[in-house]
Amino acid sequence: MAKKRILVGGWFDLPRVGRDVFSALMKQGVVYDKAMGFKLDSGTDLQAAVRTVRAAAGEEVELTLRCFVCGKESCPGCPYLSSCDRTRVSTLCLCADHAPEKSVFDAYSETFDVHLKA
Amino acid sequence: MWSEKYRPKAIDRLIGNEESRLVLSAWLSKWKPGAKAALLMGPPGTGKTTFVNLLAKENGMNLVDLNASDVRTKDMLRKRMGEVMGTVSLFGERSLIFLDEVDGLAGRADYGAVEFIKESVKESQNPIVMAANDPDSDEIKKLSSSCLAVRFRPPPPREVEMYLREVARGEGLAVGEEELRRYVRESAGDVRQAINLLQGSQQRSQGGDGDSRGRYKDTDRTVSEAFNGFFGAADKEEALASLRAVSMSPFEKVREMHRSVVKSGLPAPELARALQTVSSADLLIGRMMKSGEWRMLRYLDRLFVEGLFPLVKGRGVKYTGQDDLPFPVLVRVWNDSKKIREISVKYAAKAHTSGMSARSQDLPYVFALCSKKQFREGMERALGLDADPDVLESYDKFLQKEAAR
Repeated sequence: MAKKRILVGGWFDLPRVGRDVFSALMKQGVVYDKAMGFKLDSGTDLQAAVRTVRAAAGEEVELTLRCFVCGKESCPGCPYLSSCDRTRVSTLCLCADHAPEKSVFDAYSETFDVHLKA
Repeated sequence: MWSEKYRPKAIDRLIGNEESRLVLSAWLSKWKPGAKAALLMGPPGTGKTTFVNLLAKENGMNLVDLNASDVRTKDMLRKRMGEVMGTVSLFGERSLIFLDEVDGLAGRADYGAVEFIKESVKESQNPIVMAANDPDSDEIKKLSSSCLAVRFRPPPPREVEMYLREVARGEGLAVGEEELRRYVRESAGDVRQAINLLQGSQQRSQGGDGDSRGRYKDTDRTVSEAFNGFFGAADKEEALASLRAVSMSPFEKVREMHRSVVKSGLPAPELARALQTVSSADLLIGRMMKSGEWRMLRYLDRLFVEGLFPLVKGRGVKYTGQDDLPFPVLVRVWNDSKKIREISVKYAAKAHTSGMSARSQDLPYVFALCSKKQFREGMERALGLDADPDVLESYDKFLQKEAAR
């Protein structure tokens, strides 16, 4: 089965879905924009939405997370990739450039403050 | 305890749920009377209570903390919340009202409590924050539609590792990369657990007792590996360890166990006893929800180990997975459930019974009687299903299908 990679917080396309599937996706908190497509975010019931998207797209779904500090895709090269269930954890992470071993906790906190003030 | 020593002292020192924290901070800073209440939904241990405490502190508010499972009726809520809701200090300082474990409002005894909260929010002079463990319960769904609902989830492993490194740095420890990653994996997103593991290992290496909490956790496994570990375990201890590694909400755990037992192919007497255990687990969850006694959760895994494990041991039972039904079938199940719910609400109003009693006791017989056209049409009229011809046709087809079962 082909694999569909979806960045949580990024837009993605689906083949035309029926009313029931669309309604299920909306109930599961998936965001829809006519021009942009679909989006999974922190308000989405990720487990249910992934099941629905998998069935609608006919492809395995692999979620990837964004780095909270720089916004880049964070999963490639992550040592926890095989054991991390991205449908259950919170929707932002840290990329290799801001990996924990680089003492990024202060940078992480500062980023939060910047967002808060914005 | 290091977990207490390193408990975050500010919102920006928390990890995980960044978007939810930002949304809620913005909500509180813009809050004015009449605005929506906030509802935090997520499993225990994801930092909801810590966050709300810090939110009040950082905004210079007094936190009024009420556990909803202690004040479950409308009258009790009015008594406890009434005074606080309408009160602002002489200097205009507001309090943050925190209603924890609102799941405890579920059940018949709490009739009116949810409605009371929804009404109170509009009149309150102080912001109200609620927290719930199970976003899928009906009461919480009712509440979330009229609140600013945000989800709280465990932080991803890399962020737990970042925090653990911060603790190690604070304690002046040089901990190996692999060792740290092992604690992160074993803690399954529970930061306190990760810190306890780190502290335990340091105490052991210094000749102390160490803290062995979490030694059974093995979250380097997927859900299916953990369930299969339970079914294929050599003894009860191994079965318990496997079950504890299942990272799921208790409701999901019971549901998945039910699916696997139903499809296990066990002989009828064993199957009946196995289902009896699953049923007891379901009851336990129900009682826990009703009473808000989340401490009872600790008995769930033990119940499966004592009641179910001896029946499945060595029988080759396998975890069936969450997607054992094809999607078109799932859609049909959703649609049918929706129709049954709608019919039961209408029937309950006519028959002066509850929706639950209608569904479980009356409707199976009513559906059987619907095989007779005259009865079916009479019922459609009585329940007002005939208002729209298209709707009537879909209900009529549904009732015929149910009658033919």
